[in-house]
Amino acid sequence: MSRRFRTATDRLTRGLRAARHVEKRTIGRQVLTYVISIAVLLLAWQIASLIVNRNVPPPTGGIQHAKILPGPFEALSQLIKNAAELQRHFLSSAWRLLLAMLIALAAAVPIGLMLGRERTLDRYLSPIVYITYPIPQVALILFFFVVFGTGSATKVAMVAFVLFFQILVSARGAAKNIDEEHITSVLSAGASRWQIYRHVIVPATLPDVLTSLRVSIGLGMAFLYIAETSAAFGKGLGGFIKDRMLFQREQAFAGIVAMGVLGLVLYVAVDIIERIVCRWKYVKRRAS
Amino acid sequence: MIDVDGVTIDYGAGGRLVRAVENVTFTVVKGDSVALIGPSGCGKTTILFALAGLLDATSGRLSIDGAGIRGPQRSVALILQNAGLLPWKTVWQNANLSLLLNGEYPARTACGVLDELGLGAVARRYPAELSEGMKRRVGVARALSTSPAVMLMDEPLASLDTLTREKIQDLFLQLWREHGFSLVLVTHDIEEAAFLGRSVLVLTERPARVKEIVSNPGMGDLDYRETSAYREVLGRLREALER
Repeated sequence: MSRRFRTATDRLTRGLRAARHVEKRTIGRQVLTYVISIAVLLLAWQIASLIVNRNVPPPTGGIQHAKILPGPFEALSQLIKNAAELQRHFLSSAWRLLLAMLIALAAAVPIGLMLGRERTLDRYLSPIVYITYPIPQVALILFFFVVFGTGSATKVAMVAFVLFFQILVSARGAAKNIDEEHITSVLSAGASRWQIYRHVIVPATLPDVLTSLRVSIGLGMAFLYIAETSAAFGKGLGGFIKDRMLFQREQAFAGIVAMGVLGLVLYVAVDIIERIVCRWKYVKRRAS
Repeated sequence: MIDVDGVTIDYGAGGRLVRAVENVTFTVVKGDSVALIGPSGCGKTTILFALAGLLDATSGRLSIDGAGIRGPQRSVALILQNAGLLPWKTVWQNANLSLLLNGEYPARTACGVLDELGLGAVARRYPAELSEGMKRRVGVARALSTSPAVMLMDEPLASLDTLTREKIQDLFLQLWREHGFSLVLVTHDIEEAAFLGRSVLVLTERPARVKEIVSNPGMGDLDYRETSAYREVLGRLREALER
């Protein structure tokens, strides 16, 4: 086993061990915060449901009139009843969103970092980015269907396209704001251009890139919903929600809850990744 | 021997050319120490960066042991104002950065320099976990890791409290005597210049020119601060700066 490999695995093991050890209390506190937030959200949802549905007539002759806004418990009971079907849609949407995020990251981070650091490249390419960035990407949805067909590829490409700009702009900004002393420090130690990227630019911008990824989760889910409801075929929470919104609204809201869970899972996953790869951000000064 | 011969350095700022250093000449004999002192922003750091191979001189010649400086060299170490530590690397990784960049993987237990500087116990910590004084010592450890022949220091103790500053000045003096490197120190603190510089170059406002060279042969002992020679040098430096 090479020394370099051993160093990398050792670093990862130490990171995971430290993350487990140091963060135990923090994780406990965070879980409690999430539980309280979810309880507050459910309460607010229930109150909103009661207010919105106050004019819906009571069941007459065994016929239940459709509620405008089903309550959280109706949605949750539908979630349990349709668990198997929702799971398929959930996994399908999760896979698309995850793949889109990875594609966007892989494409946007290197370009963003180079734009942030290489002046000439930035001078010529940034105007193109800033002209294309504000275009409402949803306007291009038909174009995506024409190019990629009506399958998963369109949905993934659409979301990846939207997230690409989000992450690119963040990575570029983060690379521009790097403390020059860090660059000078490695330059004076004889670093090559590649080593500057590896030892300074990438680690220094990682927290900002992960923040942009967090923002991207919400944006990505919104565009995934649009893409999934625009396509006539295929699985996915978007289609599930759209198909049931008119006549099986409780089920549609069960789908919305599943989307919320998907967002939460991804959000927490990014948090955990950040705690491991940016451990230096979470340490505090200790007595020597 | 470090030789700075008639060096002028211009750089572009906001579309116009700014002269930072003008016709500066001085030499540092092998193993000797020189402090550069002058008003803030006068161009002291520019001279240091040129010696580190990070900047090119517009005219004149910079050389170490007769060889012109063309880029950073392993035998020249630079300590920056805030120690230049990378927050995402541990103390050990920061201290060994120069070696790691050159493809050398020092054994994990080889913390000789860290131990020498009392940092062995914190080798696995991140800079954010250290006091300011310890961070500066990690910067020194990094500089010493390649056993340099020339040590360049750019206001290495700025923003430290007086006691910590004096302790680290003592450490610099001990290391300079034990390791035998040539030292070029940039500072705006006349006490630091008088304690660590065998000769002190007083520079003018930008563009930096040598206004006066104050000789300081008595330096080199830890109790030099208590001597009348030290106080006399301080007086001469203050006078030269105010002139």
